[in-house]
Amino acid sequence: MRKSLVVVVAVSIVGVALPFVAQSQDLGRRLGGENGPRRAAAVDRPVPKLADGKVDLSGVWSGGGDGTIERLLKPGELDGIMLPWAKKLYAERNATDGLDPYFTCMPGGPLRITGGFGWRLVQHPTTNSTHIFMLQEGNAHTYRQIFVDGRKHPEDPSPTWYGHSIGRWEGDTLVIDTIGLNDKFWLDSGGTPHTEQLHMVERYTRTDFNTLRREVTIQDPGAFTRPFTVTFTARLGTPDSEILEYICIENNQYGLAQGLSLPNAKK
Amino acid sequence: MRRELTTLVASFIVLSVPLAAHHSWTADYDAAKPVTVKGVVTKVEWTNPHTHFYIESKDEKGTVTSWNFEMASTLALERGGWSRKTLPVGAEVTISGFGGRAVTERAIASSIMTADGRSLFVAKPGN
Repeated sequence: MRKSLVVVVAVSIVGVALPFVAQSQDLGRRLGGENGPRRAAAVDRPVPKLADGKVDLSGVWSGGGDGTIERLLKPGELDGIMLPWAKKLYAERNATDGLDPYFTCMPGGPLRITGGFGWRLVQHPTTNSTHIFMLQEGNAHTYRQIFVDGRKHPEDPSPTWYGHSIGRWEGDTLVIDTIGLNDKFWLDSGGTPHTEQLHMVERYTRTDFNTLRREVTIQDPGAFTRPFTVTFTARLGTPDSEILEYICIENNQYGLAQGLSLPNAKK
Repeated sequence: MRRELTTLVASFIVLSVPLAAHHSWTADYDAAKPVTVKGVVTKVEWTNPHTHFYIESKDEKGTVTSWNFEMASTLALERGGWSRKTLPVGAEVTISGFGGRAVTERAIASSIMTADGRSLFVAKPGN
């Protein structure tokens, strides 16, 4: 009996492992999950603070924006809150694999900037800091700029890939409010649609030395019937971690093996 | 026994979850087209978003086939211990992977074995 179980287990593992290994590599390649820096081992240290008493969030982090909204929400929840046009587009995007602008080296937008690839949060290490930056090594080699000098959003900003972000502290939590986003990117790797009405409120809390919780409330009356919240976790890289250079447009051959010729793909 | 079976089923589910991931590598490559190529590296593109290793293989009749194997990004490979010189032009390798949906010889690598029997890191395993 035991022997037959072992055989069953072995066969199942072989059957599953092959595509799993390839898929696992793919997540690394496509979404950057395995491109990121090595994660630091757990340490028993307090969350660091700057001279002005604010929590120091700076460092190289990995993760914190990967995972699809559909899977982060309850089963059926996303489907239940998408407006009919968004539901239709979501189904189309899922049926036509490969048209995510991210795969043609376009920016992934603010939700995905912390996903997969390593990223560095740069927090001005003084009092009266005016800016916080998030630098993403991957994809479009891009950054987010967050104003923390108390300014308001502009009245009617021209939509951009990363929008207009203002930050403030609520105790030890950094709250980032973003508007002014275009609708040219997919909100997540699952293909969730959005409109230029997208309004994101992110709450970053360093729950321990190695862990950054990112709670994101997404509001877009153009695409969803109500706001919803998804939570991600970023992990600190090892102390020697640095972000590296990655220029997606350099040699993108995406689509060629399947017979397509997509924008920004080289022959 | 029942408990072992439960464990088995549970492991299966855990392992299967990533298979359902959206926008998989299977857009470009066909899981039903496993390939194994023994040949010589003719060109290395140490580039992003992915590195590409070009291999020429010769069959028994002497027919030469050129392959373009996609590999991970330079970041993933460097963090896995590679440099641009790890697999140089002229190296003999055996690469396994999966052929492209439309162009079989545009393939994706899942394992690499050097002529002296070393298995090279392909992408970070496990975590």
